[in-house]
Amino acid sequence: MGAAAMMAALSAFAADDIVERGRYLTYAGGCISCHTEDVEDAIPLAGGRAMETPFGTFYSPNLTPDMKSGIGGWSDDDFVDAFWEGVSPDGKHYFPAFPYTSYTGASRDDLLAIKAYLFSLEPVPKETADHDLAWYMSSRIAAGAWKAVNFEPARFEPDPSQDEQWNRGAYLVRHLGHCGECHTPRNAIGVSQADTEMAGSTFGEEKIPNITTHRIDGIGRWSASDIEYFLDIGMLPDGDFTGSSMVDVIEDNTSKLTRDDRLAIASYLKSLPPRESAED
Amino acid sequence: MQRKFFSAIAALTISSTLSLYAFADTTPEDAADYRSAVMTSLRGHIGAASMIARGLVENDGHLLGHAQGLANGANELSRVFPKGSNVGESEALPLIWEEPEAFAEAIANLQEATAAFVTAAESGDEEAIGAAFRNVGMSCRGCHDRFRVQQ
Repeated sequence: MGAAAMMAALSAFAADDIVERGRYLTYAGGCISCHTEDVEDAIPLAGGRAMETPFGTFYSPNLTPDMKSGIGGWSDDDFVDAFWEGVSPDGKHYFPAFPYTSYTGASRDDLLAIKAYLFSLEPVPKETADHDLAWYMSSRIAAGAWKAVNFEPARFEPDPSQDEQWNRGAYLVRHLGHCGECHTPRNAIGVSQADTEMAGSTFGEEKIPNITTHRIDGIGRWSASDIEYFLDIGMLPDGDFTGSSMVDVIEDNTSKLTRDDRLAIASYLKSLPPRESAED
Repeated sequence: MQRKFFSAIAALTISSTLSLYAFADTTPEDAADYRSAVMTSLRGHIGAASMIARGLVENDGHLLGHAQGLANGANELSRVFPKGSNVGESEALPLIWEEPEAFAEAIANLQEATAAFVTAAESGDEEAIGAAFRNVGMSCRGCHDRFRVQQ
């Protein structure tokens, strides 16, 4: 299907039902993997997953519309500002474990559809633990200082020199899907480096692959179909199946997308310049 | 019923030691290498089958051979994880031998999925082939995610 047909399919979807569209975008935004506790029978999106980082352990908040422990009291602007500016409704700075550095590019329409979906969920009263952070990060002032130096709020602007499929892919990869949060290396203070976009990284014990078009270090020998298929069922082009943290991403995000959106992601990734992986 | 039977046999095999191979002087390293070779054959069949399932290569009947290869390999998996074979280049996690029943269940899943894929390949029905292949893939992925060293 061409880009035009893809856009038509998406807008048909949009006209239908904002909650349904929001559900789709919640998958595309990868919200579920982090905001669902890593235990059997966890309630999706009710928060509580521990995320270990070099800066300490973060516990993801409850995204169900409970008035007290969730986001039930948030206005539309509260919600959008969290993504665009990285601030909470009471004006506190978020730590970039919440990937607003990527989400800042998301459109207001898409964010409000996500909000509509989240507000359609059953409210779950569930307080989550306080973050357990290194001393130098253990205040919101640290988060504010980090932001002042390293964060530039900006919406996604389509590149008119590229086709719609590429632009859709760029939006999904860079912003909503926040792929770079894991696949782009960070410097010592946790800032993603634009000139090494998608060149791979290390996350705890796990080596996050280089997904640029480098033929040796990256996925330059994969076809667009290989990328699309991997994002759908997790098969590598040689027939092997990944068993990494990407399995969660495939399950809760990319396999739930339309084939056209996965092909859009592939189109964007195929356009990245080949980059060598950083030395460990 | 049949599946319960298979997974019981598989659980027994997995928790038994290398004695299964002893008559052939199989070393633990040999057992691990053999397992790896069986896995490689599965990988080859699935890589080829996926290209047909994706419509990148036409199915003129040869999909069935790959489906049968997968089913045969899946049946063999029950006997390629003898206790003590987690040596050398093995990417197996100890959980396989700590929870032999859960692992046997995972293998039974794959055997079921590959058998259904053979049936779909015989039918030639594209939609059935796509769906059945997907289930085979899910089964591979589920097992690697839980029982193989993270890559």
